[in-house]
Amino acid sequence: MALLKVTDMSHDFGGLRAVNNYHLEIESGEICGLIGPNGAGKTTIFNLITGIHRPTEGAILFEGQSIVGLQPYEIAARGISRTFQNLRLWRHMTVLDHVKMARYSKLGYGLVGALFGSGRCRRQEAAIEEKARGLLDMVGNGRFAQQMVPNIPYSAQRRVEMARALATEPKILLLDEPTAGMNPEELAQMMRIIRTVHRTLGLAIFLIEHRLKMVMERRWCDAVDGK
Amino acid sequence: MQRPFRFADVMRSTFSQVPFLGWLLGGLAAVTVEHLVGFQLAGLLGMPRVPVLFGCVVMLKKPLLIPAAATFVLLVYVVPACVVARVSAPITNRIASRLLRFPVVLPVLFHLALLYGILEMWSDLSAYRDLTLRLTLISVMLTLSLNVINGYMGEFSCSHPGFMALGAYAASVFTLGLFANDRVFGPAVLPPALGSFVFPFGLFLGGGVAALGALAIAVPSFRTRGDYLAIISLAFMFIVKSAIENLEVVGGPRGLSSHPNWATLPAVFFWTVACVWVIHNFVSSTLGKALNAVRDDEMAAEAMTVNTRKTKVVAFLFGAFWAGVAGGLFAHVLRYVNPGTFGLQKLAEVLAMVYFGGLNSVYGSIVGAVSLSLLGEALRPLEIFKWIIIPLLLILVMIYRPTGLIAFRDFDVKRIIRPRDGKGEQV
Amino acid sequence: MMTFFFQNLVNALQWGSFYALIALGYSMVYGILMLFNFAHGDIFMVGAYIGFGVATGLTALASAGAVALPHWLVLVLTILISMFLTSFVGMAVERFGYRPLRDAPRASAAITGLMIGIILETANLALLGARRISFPPLIRSVTYDIGGVYVTNKKIMIVVVSIALMVGLHQFVRRTKWGMAMRAMAFDFVVVPLMGVPLNTIAAMTFALGSALAAAAGILFAVAYPVLDPYMGIVFGWKAFVAAILGGRGSVLGATLAGFLLGFIEIFVAMIFPSTLRDFIAYSIILLILVFRPHGFFGEPYSARLRL
Repeated sequence: MALLKVTDMSHDFGGLRAVNNYHLEIESGEICGLIGPNGAGKTTIFNLITGIHRPTEGAILFEGQSIVGLQPYEIAARGISRTFQNLRLWRHMTVLDHVKMARYSKLGYGLVGALFGSGRCRRQEAAIEEKARGLLDMVGNGRFAQQMVPNIPYSAQRRVEMARALATEPKILLLDEPTAGMNPEELAQMMRIIRTVHRTLGLAIFLIEHRLKMVMERRWCDAVDGK
Repeated sequence: MQRPFRFADVMRSTFSQVPFLGWLLGGLAAVTVEHLVGFQLAGLLGMPRVPVLFGCVVMLKKPLLIPAAATFVLLVYVVPACVVARVSAPITNRIASRLLRFPVVLPVLFHLALLYGILEMWSDLSAYRDLTLRLTLISVMLTLSLNVINGYMGEFSCSHPGFMALGAYAASVFTLGLFANDRVFGPAVLPPALGSFVFPFGLFLGGGVAALGALAIAVPSFRTRGDYLAIISLAFMFIVKSAIENLEVVGGPRGLSSHPNWATLPAVFFWTVACVWVIHNFVSSTLGKALNAVRDDEMAAEAMTVNTRKTKVVAFLFGAFWAGVAGGLFAHVLRYVNPGTFGLQKLAEVLAMVYFGGLNSVYGSIVGAVSLSLLGEALRPLEIFKWIIIPLLLILVMIYRPTGLIAFRDFDVKRIIRPRDGKGEQV
Repeated sequence: MMTFFFQNLVNALQWGSFYALIALGYSMVYGILMLFNFAHGDIFMVGAYIGFGVATGLTALASAGAVALPHWLVLVLTILISMFLTSFVGMAVERFGYRPLRDAPRASAAITGLMIGIILETANLALLGARRISFPPLIRSVTYDIGGVYVTNKKIMIVVVSIALMVGLHQFVRRTKWGMAMRAMAFDFVVVPLMGVPLNTIAAMTFALGSALAAAAGILFAVAYPVLDPYMGIVFGWKAFVAAILGGRGSVLGATLAGFLLGFIEIFVAMIFPSTLRDFIAYSIILLILVFRPHGFFGEPYSARLRL
């Protein structure tokens, strides 16, 4: 059974058909690329899968269950995590807090625990902080942990998004142009990170990348899904 | 090269080693001095009585008494506080580092007890001080609770006076109904001796009713942000005020009065500390930081598993709850309550405190509420010109620090109470 | 019953035109700068007071025989001169209150607006004292009886002048170069300045126009209810703000219609229910409208593309 299966998915913005009869099947642990020119609707497909838009037609099955109509946070909590093409970070939060925030759905202490600083709350906060630091080290952002996001370099901001997306413990990771605007060195680093993530965490990865050359030459993708 | 002699440098090197505990001791010394010799000293300096607000009121009212008032402040407050703080620094540093070995609750309680002692002794000298202090503490609660919605969550809510009114009336009806021989609510049900024990339940009821009212605003806030929420909450405030004015059961426009005197300084102090503590816990937990994530980028928050609707509802209910509690205390401090209090003026006041002190910061709210409350009292002799000076000050703050004086700063208790002799700096 | 209805309709038209004129100022400023000028209600008050000064001066001149002015001309001159003078108040508010905060969070600008409002009220109180002053009667009241409905010439004048001003504004925004710049700016105030349209000039002009309309509303109000006090702007300002929101952010037509609608709601609620319930019912209706139509009547749905 495919981990993520999209059948006959279409979406209209007003009268404009942005996505037409899209099909996709991704198995666990597979890397899959999505390519296409600007404006082809790649990001829209991501938004449809992650629940930001609701598809006009079609079905999306994740682990055999339909996720159409669920709220984005519910879809994310089930194990579909993503990054954004134009970084969407929280301006007034530290890098560490970004990664901790992505553990929201796994918090077990509840409102009362948070209000009175219960022992359970403190233990869990410590645990997720440790986990978050681990993820930051993994993407090479450990030294920025206490920095505010606008104060760190662009490529590091992209890696924060990556660490944040991983902290939700996804089964599949949707990367929206993870290397956009990077220089060759940063690009190589990002690709290393993606490979590490794929290997150590065993995630399926579905990525948008319109540098065809990179997708083909580096043999990243098991299947290239054009439009 | 020798640095030129600077007064500020000397002051810094002299007092940088004094821990918070030292300053508390110094404050205690100052109020003790005032208790012992304040009255005689004031008479000696030609003042009719002890200046109530650090001499500010006296100075503005009678400029001729400026030297006398300044001398009084210097001799009674500044000198004892500084001398005791500096002299005791080695001892207080040792105590502070010893205290840090205990769970953080104990040293905090110890510091709070000292702080309470200072406030109690200071306010003991005049009823005016007592009232001002209690109202100031209540405005700290109000400001902080509004900061949860307007600062931490970044909405612009105008309904705080409405929440306050709901809390004030619910708590008033509770106490008057149970404990007073009232025209409307009939004779007392419970003996007044029980009052102090039952009062917290009244406040809880007030907070609960306010939180219930907040649901009316929280639900529309799912769909809109910013301006529309401002108007919905504003409409809510007017509706609450108008509804109370039309309810003859609670006195209509005349309001309710003859509340029992339960909102004494210890009670108000306790509730303020509880409010600061709980709100601080909340906003520094990951659950509470979800508010910031929703504010900075709602879509990213959703994508990172944050239930944004629940987060918004919780923030509104939470902020409204504390506004309700503050309203209940407010009614019992003034010992009357009428709907006219909870209008646009109150709104402007609370908003000013939040934005003056600083968004997204517990410190900022405390500073904003205390400084604007005290400033309002200190400038009272200027009569209406006070309402030119304070707004001008706020405009300047907005221009030079648009998010307020102390915005986006974490409130860290351990940092405040740490020893400052160089050994405990890393805490 | 029918006459009763029409009687109230006339009153509602008059009442609504005050709201509509003030709401226009809120809406125009919002259109350009994406913020609400919370000092606007107090500019309405200042306009009424300036009108009082101008009217007193003109009547003194006329009665001294220096110039022979008919009553209607005194009124027209009062309105025009006060509109002109008040527009400078508006520009000053923009220059010193809002321009330094152009890049600040919008809530900070809102606080500044509130504070400027307080300063205007207090300055007025300090200059003229706490007494209420009465506006000189510029035109003699004549009552017409149209089929049982009593209409005064003042009411007709107020509604006619308001509508004329609104049409004038509409023409200005549609026809002139400056109006076009304003519309362009409302569309995008990041890119349009790059095209050579001076943001500061346009912003100042928007404030000037809005303030002039508020001044006209102030004088018309004073003609109908000739008692002025320094806090008269607060209630009117907030209600007109509500109307501006109800009409849809930045929509001039919406603000006009919503201003009249608010007038109708208030008058008709007061007609049916005890007048103490007026605010309660009026705001409840507004709340309901906004819950079901969060963007007002003509507002752009602001996150229509996103389900969030």
